Amino acid sequence: MQIKINNQSFECQEEETILAVCKRNGIRIPTLCAHPDLLPSEGVCRMCLVETNQAKGLVSSCTQKICEGLEVRTETEKVNKARKINLELLWADHAGKCAFCEKNGRCELQNLAKEYGPDEFKFVPRRKELKPNDELDLLKDNWSHAVFDDANPCLARDSQYCVECRRCVRVCKNIQTVEAYGLNKRSSKTNVGTPYEMPLDCIFCGQCSVVCPTAAITEKDETHKFEEAVADPKKMVVVQFAPSVRFAFGEEFGQPPGTFWEGKLVASLKELGADKVFDTTFAADLTIVEEATELLLKIKSGKAPRPMFTSCCPSWILFIEKYFPEFIPDISTSKSPQQMLGALLKTYWAEKEKIHPENIFSVSVMPCISKKYEAQREEMKASGTRDVDLVLTVRELARLLRKKKIDPSQLKDQNFDPALGISTGAGILFGQSGGVMEAALRTAVEKISGKELGKLEFEVIRGDAEYRTAEIEIGSMKLKVAIVHEIRNARKLLEDLKAGRADYDFVEVMSCPNGCIGGGGMPQPTSPTARKARIQAIFTRDKNMPLRKSHENPAVKKIYKEFLGAPGSEKAEELLHTGYVNRKK
Amino acid sequence: MKIITRHWGKINPLKIDSYIRQRGYEALQKAVREMDPKSVIDEVKKSGLRGRGGAGFPTGEKWEIAAREKSPEKYFICNLDESEPGTYKDRLIAEKNPHQVIEGLLIGAYAVGAKKAYIYINGRYAEQAEVLQIALDQAREKEFVGSGILGSAADVEISIHQGAGAYICGEETALLNSIEGKRGEPRLKPLFPPVSGLFGKPTIVNNAETLANLPYIIRHGAQNYAEIGSKTSPGTKLFLLHGAVKNPGFFEAPLGIGLRELIFAKEYGGGMKSGKEFWFAQAGGASGRLVPSGKLDQVLTYDNCEYPLGSGSVLVVDKTEDIKDYLFSWADFFHRESCGKCVPCREGTYRLWEIAKRIRNGDIRERDRENVEDILWTLGNTTFCPLGKFASVAWSDAMKMFPDKIFK
Repeated sequence: MQIKINNQSFECQEEETILAVCKRNGIRIPTLCAHPDLLPSEGVCRMCLVETNQAKGLVSSCTQKICEGLEVRTETEKVNKARKINLELLWADHAGKCAFCEKNGRCELQNLAKEYGPDEFKFVPRRKELKPNDELDLLKDNWSHAVFDDANPCLARDSQYCVECRRCVRVCKNIQTVEAYGLNKRSSKTNVGTPYEMPLDCIFCGQCSVVCPTAAITEKDETHKFEEAVADPKKMVVVQFAPSVRFAFGEEFGQPPGTFWEGKLVASLKELGADKVFDTTFAADLTIVEEATELLLKIKSGKAPRPMFTSCCPSWILFIEKYFPEFIPDISTSKSPQQMLGALLKTYWAEKEKIHPENIFSVSVMPCISKKYEAQREEMKASGTRDVDLVLTVRELARLLRKKKIDPSQLKDQNFDPALGISTGAGILFGQSGGVMEAALRTAVEKISGKELGKLEFEVIRGDAEYRTAEIEIGSMKLKVAIVHEIRNARKLLEDLKAGRADYDFVEVMSCPNGCIGGGGMPQPTSPTARKARIQAIFTRDKNMPLRKSHENPAVKKIYKEFLGAPGSEKAEELLHTGYVNRKK
Repeated sequence: MKIITRHWGKINPLKIDSYIRQRGYEALQKAVREMDPKSVIDEVKKSGLRGRGGAGFPTGEKWEIAAREKSPEKYFICNLDESEPGTYKDRLIAEKNPHQVIEGLLIGAYAVGAKKAYIYINGRYAEQAEVLQIALDQAREKEFVGSGILGSAADVEISIHQGAGAYICGEETALLNSIEGKRGEPRLKPLFPPVSGLFGKPTIVNNAETLANLPYIIRHGAQNYAEIGSKTSPGTKLFLLHGAVKNPGFFEAPLGIGLRELIFAKEYGGGMKSGKEFWFAQAGGASGRLVPSGKLDQVLTYDNCEYPLGSGSVLVVDKTEDIKDYLFSWADFFHRESCGKCVPCREGTYRLWEIAKRIRNGDIRERDRENVEDILWTLGNTTFCPLGKFASVAWSDAMKMFPDKIFK
């Protein structure tokens, strides 16, 4: 079908919205509530209005589907007037504290204001016009419906910044099926919030903070803790960062999605004052060795048909603990790579380097919001104190660098510190949905069959389908595996298992879209295209790694030899494994 | 000619037999025993009946859309959420003759094939909800409601659903959300309710007054009904008169009546209260337009685009009143009742209210006129649902008609 936009013809498909066609063809339409991950759009912000030959009035391009003979105009006097007035109305309701705002410079409302903003915002009261009483009224009115909530380790909400676009409501309900957010009150007091404004109590996946256009929902900023630790002469600041981080970090500094910035990350962290930088990927390899051993034991013990679930995603763990505790016994007890490295840092490495564990300040840079939660779980104190003292998201790290006026692109690449810095392609794969499975299979298949794998890529389990299943033949054995990302699919899988509609031996779950690569702590904006580019970069990196199987990682071998003994040993059990709690209410 | 108010005062609304003695439920019997659903719809189409909620959509045509849908599950809803300021016609209908609405609802549900029907009643109408519940229980006892109505194959179950008094829940898709237990907010259209409504199933939402016309149409025939009132808007209508008239209250009059007649005729408003001089009228509640004295020859029908009759309430304002009080009252109402879904309505009604507060106190600022114009424009042109437009109607007229009385 062809439609006309601003007198130009464009090819398009049935069921497409006007906005989708415009976006594809580079025609600028401002939007706030529309998001590529949250389709269909709801049409609540009224910023994307256009004129068509099919309707008398303006129509919202994010909801209006195309039809034969459609002619669209995106820059008429009426359209521009609508954009301007509605933006001004929104701005008047917004806190307007840009200079102090965490999102300053990366806020979608601010960007629109810059793009369409008039010289002065008319609905914002002018100071000179205000009488003292008015000011008080305004202040009262502002506070009467402002909600601030940071009574959790991960996310901060401040409704003064909220533009009620409802992206968070939709991501939480439609993608994660957690429904932590809804709308409270109505009319001008309408607030996005939790039921009865109770403190946020969810799985902390943080997808709400990735889709939030303003600073209404953000990761709980802890950058000051890093600064304090670096300034403390007694503390040795040791940083690790997750596999996925190096494929997205560059976006914070204007690089295209999928830019591989490992060396720059190490250099940036050193520039910030980190004493050592290790690679979480090393611990990912360790996780695989432990988890594969656990899986083999489970299969051999004949305890099947119950599956084994991966355990590296803390939101997934919380989801099971809060909503499906009956599956707790089926979760792998292996800790996530972050926590394995954290535990080893303050035991194995501290011992080796003769540093008192209390003097180590262990920091991880994660694509994830709920890692902040994971790090403060009671079970994560193998060394006596918190194994990981601070978790920063990619966005926080970038904020810190910008604050310190460090531009990573100007830095020379640096290598990880040795000891805990060697990794394999298998570990790198952890960064995306299906990666833990593939890494585990590379190890498990070789262990079971005793033969070396020819082709390492398990194409049957790759792809971005949200619920993938496969049967892997290992000699005479068939391993039934499933991979899901996004909690809605995990819920479906659990319900399938409960109803006996499916049975699997090994299941990988990641809460965020496409896995950690689409994590809650990743750079904004997120979109299927951005995530695809990041995933492609992961595969390329894996292919180019000299070592691509976790059990062949020499550092892993060494740590077993020097410290842990064998996979699943008592020491490994103590440091690298954990337990879970029924948190169902 | 009386259709709606015909039995008011003559029957006891709490006793079904008193309605039956007035040949009540005969239309239902005729429909389920002698007519198939299609001929009921045809009859309603022929009658020319149009929705009394305000928009005036042809009732039969709406039914036909839902009847055509193949879904085995359909719903029929009586909209009794009436919350337009100055409008209380549906409340009167419910308390004076609840069976007339129930009978109409049953006929409609039978026609479109809905086995489940709801009466969605404004939460503030607690007393009327009780009257309806009593009526419903009695109707069930008589086998008018439930499975196998009067020995026929027709099954219609009716429940009463009390809203919480939100204006927006009178908008049909917000009403559907409310019944589903969701926040009362309008849905994106299309799809329209007759295709995908309550729980995603074909659903008809009809105003209570619309339904109250049905027993008459079925009993006396479409031809008879079509001859009442105006050609394009047949039938009678309940009008409510307020303000500076001699006889305020409710009146049933044929559609097509002139506004002047309604206000000044003896049998209706009886003219202005002594000593009061007509300034303007507002037809259709707070969302209605302002009618100056020069336009009183307007007839009230659903085709009249210039001054829609809306819910049928008419406010008469005399020259001693201050327009600023009205401006504030309109802004206050729509600000309070905005559901908060879309930006222009949520923020626009708020800013308008803020300015209206000051205007009323005589605190007028340089930017006010331009700001009000901008807000009214965006309310009129960019909101998600019609509530935004409603909020701008009276204000826009006032700005045009008496700008000097506002910003001075």
